[in-house]
Amino acid sequence: MTAPAPLPAPPPAPTAPPALSVRGMSVAYGPVVAVHDATFTIAEGEAVAITGPNGNGKSSILMGIAGLTARRGDVEIFGKPAPPRDVMWTARRGLTLVPERRQLYPKLSAADNIILGCYSWTRSIAKARKSGAYAFALELFPDLQPHLAQAAGTLSGGQQQMVAIARGLASKPRILAVDEPCLGLAEAVSKRVYQALSRVHAEGTTLIVVEEAPKRALQICTRRVEVRNGIAS
Amino acid sequence: MVTSKVTPAAGVRARPARSRSLRGPLGTSGLVVAAGLIVMSFYAAQYIGSVVLLAFTYAIVTAGMAVQIGFSQQIAFSQSVFMGLGAYGVAVLNTNLNMPSLLAALAVTVASGLVALVLGSVVTRASGLALAVATIMLPLIAVGYLSSAGYLGGSVGMPLTGSLWPASSPQAMAVGNGMITVAVIGVVVFVASRILSSDIGLELYVLGVDERMAAAMGVSTPRRKLELFVLGSMFAALGGAVYAGTQLFVPATLVDPTAELSLLMMLFIGGRRSILGAVAGALIIEYVSGASTWVSVNILVVEGVLITVVLLVDPEGLAGIVSSLAARLRRARRAGGAAADGGPAPACTGHASAGTGSAVAGVTPEEVAAADRRTSAFGRSWQARAGGRAGAPLLECTGVTKDYGGLRVLDSIGLSLPARGLFGLCGPNGAGKTTLLGVIGGSVPPVAGRVLLDGADITRLPPQQRFHLGVSRTFQAVHLIAGRSVLDNVAVSCLSSHRSSLAAGIVRSRLAQARDKAAEALDYLGMGRLSGMEVSTLTLENQRMVEFARAIAARPRLLLLDEPASGLSEPQRERLKEVLRTVGDMTCVLLVEHDLGLVAQITERIFVLASGQLVFEGSPEEFRNSAVVSSLLVGL
Amino acid sequence: MKFGNLLIAGVVTGSIYAVFAVCIAVWYRVSNILNLAVGDFAMVGALGVDYLFRVDSWPLPAAIATTLAIVGAFAYGYDQVVLRLAQDGRRRQEGIVITFFFTFALSFFIDGVAKILFGTDVHAAPGLWNGNSLTFATGLHLERAGLLVLGCALISGLMFAIYIRYTLSGKAMEACGENNLGARIVGIDTRQYRRIIFVGTAMLAAVFGIVESPITGYTFLSGATISVTGFIAAAYGGFQKPGRALVAGIAIGILEALLGGYVSTQYADTLMYGILAALVLARPRAMGFESAVGG
Repeated sequence: MTAPAPLPAPPPAPTAPPALSVRGMSVAYGPVVAVHDATFTIAEGEAVAITGPNGNGKSSILMGIAGLTARRGDVEIFGKPAPPRDVMWTARRGLTLVPERRQLYPKLSAADNIILGCYSWTRSIAKARKSGAYAFALELFPDLQPHLAQAAGTLSGGQQQMVAIARGLASKPRILAVDEPCLGLAEAVSKRVYQALSRVHAEGTTLIVVEEAPKRALQICTRRVEVRNGIAS
Repeated sequence: MVTSKVTPAAGVRARPARSRSLRGPLGTSGLVVAAGLIVMSFYAAQYIGSVVLLAFTYAIVTAGMAVQIGFSQQIAFSQSVFMGLGAYGVAVLNTNLNMPSLLAALAVTVASGLVALVLGSVVTRASGLALAVATIMLPLIAVGYLSSAGYLGGSVGMPLTGSLWPASSPQAMAVGNGMITVAVIGVVVFVASRILSSDIGLELYVLGVDERMAAAMGVSTPRRKLELFVLGSMFAALGGAVYAGTQLFVPATLVDPTAELSLLMMLFIGGRRSILGAVAGALIIEYVSGASTWVSVNILVVEGVLITVVLLVDPEGLAGIVSSLAARLRRARRAGGAAADGGPAPACTGHASAGTGSAVAGVTPEEVAAADRRTSAFGRSWQARAGGRAGAPLLECTGVTKDYGGLRVLDSIGLSLPARGLFGLCGPNGAGKTTLLGVIGGSVPPVAGRVLLDGADITRLPPQQRFHLGVSRTFQAVHLIAGRSVLDNVAVSCLSSHRSSLAAGIVRSRLAQARDKAAEALDYLGMGRLSGMEVSTLTLENQRMVEFARAIAARPRLLLLDEPASGLSEPQRERLKEVLRTVGDMTCVLLVEHDLGLVAQITERIFVLASGQLVFEGSPEEFRNSAVVSSLLVGL
Repeated sequence: MKFGNLLIAGVVTGSIYAVFAVCIAVWYRVSNILNLAVGDFAMVGALGVDYLFRVDSWPLPAAIATTLAIVGAFAYGYDQVVLRLAQDGRRRQEGIVITFFFTFALSFFIDGVAKILFGTDVHAAPGLWNGNSLTFATGLHLERAGLLVLGCALISGLMFAIYIRYTLSGKAMEACGENNLGARIVGIDTRQYRRIIFVGTAMLAAVFGIVESPITGYTFLSGATISVTGFIAAAYGGFQKPGRALVAGIAIGILEALLGGYVSTQYADTLMYGILAALVLARPRAMGFESAVGG
């Protein structure tokens, strides 16, 4: 565990449960074991980068934690054990995943995409529209303002990434996990995305970023979990 | 510590991960014929004989459907109509013109081929669900026509006077009809199996899985679709003719939409990709529907439950169930054998093998370096093939313009590339890079401008023809065929069967040669060890390399690569650079990439697109120093 | 006013095709399965009510309620057993097998059971709104049952449109159809939406069967024809655009009525399918088919 950036992260109160606790997690796709016995803990308020070469299990770790793929081992979110394949449980518990390649709803408008992030905590569209989370999500990305009514599928890659993160924020996450936020994005846009993530972290949300190139992530992350061959260290 | 999978030693060519059938086409048809002969010799006049006869008649139709619908995924609902065409055709010729039924059967089959050719050339312009929708109306139209066509017996049916095997005694007639039917199904099964196991069979498989990719790899998709339609229709008509000649009555219900569904049920219960399955399915349904009165009255319920259960167990039907069981038995036997040898399966060398996919299925940098590219036969033959006219550019684009909706995605782009070298195409997202590759590759028609390859205007040529002229490309997302081995995936671009007709697949198959060429390409990249593995078990990096192998296996003169480094780690990018450098010595490579460092290091010239316009063209030095570039893209 | 009356009749049948086409399209977006048993649910609705009311002498409201409940329960059960195994199990099925064949088989099954229960004769649910057909000034007639059908279609259509556009749950349902993975990530239970739509579709189809059958009469095989026409109408929206499916359904109904009235009742269907086939072939893009379906 290295901490190259001098950003201080206040250590959590010793009695509060860690935001995320992973013990002996393994993820396999058929005969291929992608993650082998991963164990690490993330405290509340931290910003952690999960780095390592591609194809070595970083995304699988996130997918396993979020409940998108089957996994073995223990995952606890704020002290409560997470059932293995239950995305809804983790979403309601406070961990929201912004997946690789965004996974937006192409024909729905950008605004609709974002407001659906509120689904995990309400069914009332009125409440969602008035909520602080939705407002914050929109405020974070002023570049999206003129495009809110546009179909998400017609936006550029950078704008789509912003919509995806905004959608993640609308769910009032206590932990925001972002998988490869800058995949396929040009440098200038990547910088803006990281600025937004840094602000999210400053507001108190625990941040987990999966990045292949550690440089960018480590500018805002205090800790780093290196994954090689499926083993986290 | 997890023991890793057994991997074949380097150099040993493993069997393709999914071998298609246990016996060859001759064996399959031999099996059917032998079984049929036994039944017909002894039981022809009895109940079981008539069931088998009827089943074989339907099997003639379903075998064709297995090739067309099951294997090549061309969903067409036209078989019952052609079966009706065959049956009614024979009935009319026999009853009204007194033609012997056997002759009539032949005549009708040929005629239906012609009808299918005409109908097919219209219908197969559509694909996928559109094709299904277009053809689902055929049975409905046919039923409507029949119910009012008096001379065809209206909604009852039409009798025949002469059977296929004219004989005096019913016994002799039954045996004769039976033998003829067995002979026909034997030929049909043989022909169908030959086609599927030939190199054309691989073309058809790819066509079924991903039509666009098939086109990019040179498969003549419109032609194949038409040929498949004609094949399926002719087999259906043949089945109908045999039906008429053996049952001596053509019921109008033969052409019902429910008849079409029954045929589909037979195919899917037996196994949609398997010829033997098609026969088995027909046998099962026929046997079941006659098994008891209760069943035949409630056949709808029985069929509904039966097919639901079978498909839940295995979507490939009974053939799938049988082959999974066989595979499990084989694995059990092999595991038992390995334990007898003592010790676990050998772990692979290279990185710390924690049993992850990349360690097991990856190739090490040492292997890649060891693959001596410069002197390999593959490399030499490629060098000879690539290259163009001396001094003249290989690729020229002039004034290429493309609009999508109201947006001008490409605005009068002009570039020119020589016969050899590495060239980069960069730009922010949405600048039009992939579109430009599409225009050069043939999948995107420009609204203006020209593309010249070696002086020839290829602007209007479809992707297949550009492939044959030496243009090869990869895509941003990996487009491999799941369920097939690495070797077969690469062999798709090495097929020499593109100009042959479907029927040629019956006579000869150059699949082995294609596989050999594919193996050469894999060895050239140092990936020979992967050739037997099934592609969906590979890591992303290896899948990309397989796609790359497929693109170069055709020894292209122009190689278009769309973000080949995307998703690759640092050491993997080093390896890619090394490979690209060698490849660039042989042919012309145009590389779309976001990794500007990589591009600047290996290319000799870089083009930058922004908002559809070419804003920069120059050497890597100029690229680094250019003000325009650094305002657009940061990160060198 | 022959043209006008044909038009009205066409709109009535067309609205049923439209409703079924929209049901097929909406469910396909969410589940990637084509519900080819829609018409069969309608048939069960009609024949079930008829049986309970006429043969068993139940009071009409009870007959309707029970039939709808049975249809709903059966659809729920089918989803829990078959669809769950096929799609939610470890080996998720994809491709043309699941797209077509499970509901083909379901259609066969329902028809077979209906044959056992209801026999092979033509039946119909009793008319719910009895009386003379309404006449308009210029000689246009509209049967009361027809008006009922139109009313049901409009109401259900309106309710659905409001649901989709103005509620979060409706948007969530759209999201399921647009991107299954993306929907699950925000906590949407896509399986539940699949189930809800399937059961809802079945019950809605049954309602329309009850309401429409007094006009034409149903046999145990009638469902199949309606399913096919609904399928064709949905096809015109590429199976993805419910709006186009709706328009297509009505258009087909009108075409059918006009052909029957002006050309000949015998060849009306034949001609209609011929025209529809030609349209699909002439402009597949315009019909909404984007790319080939693989699998």
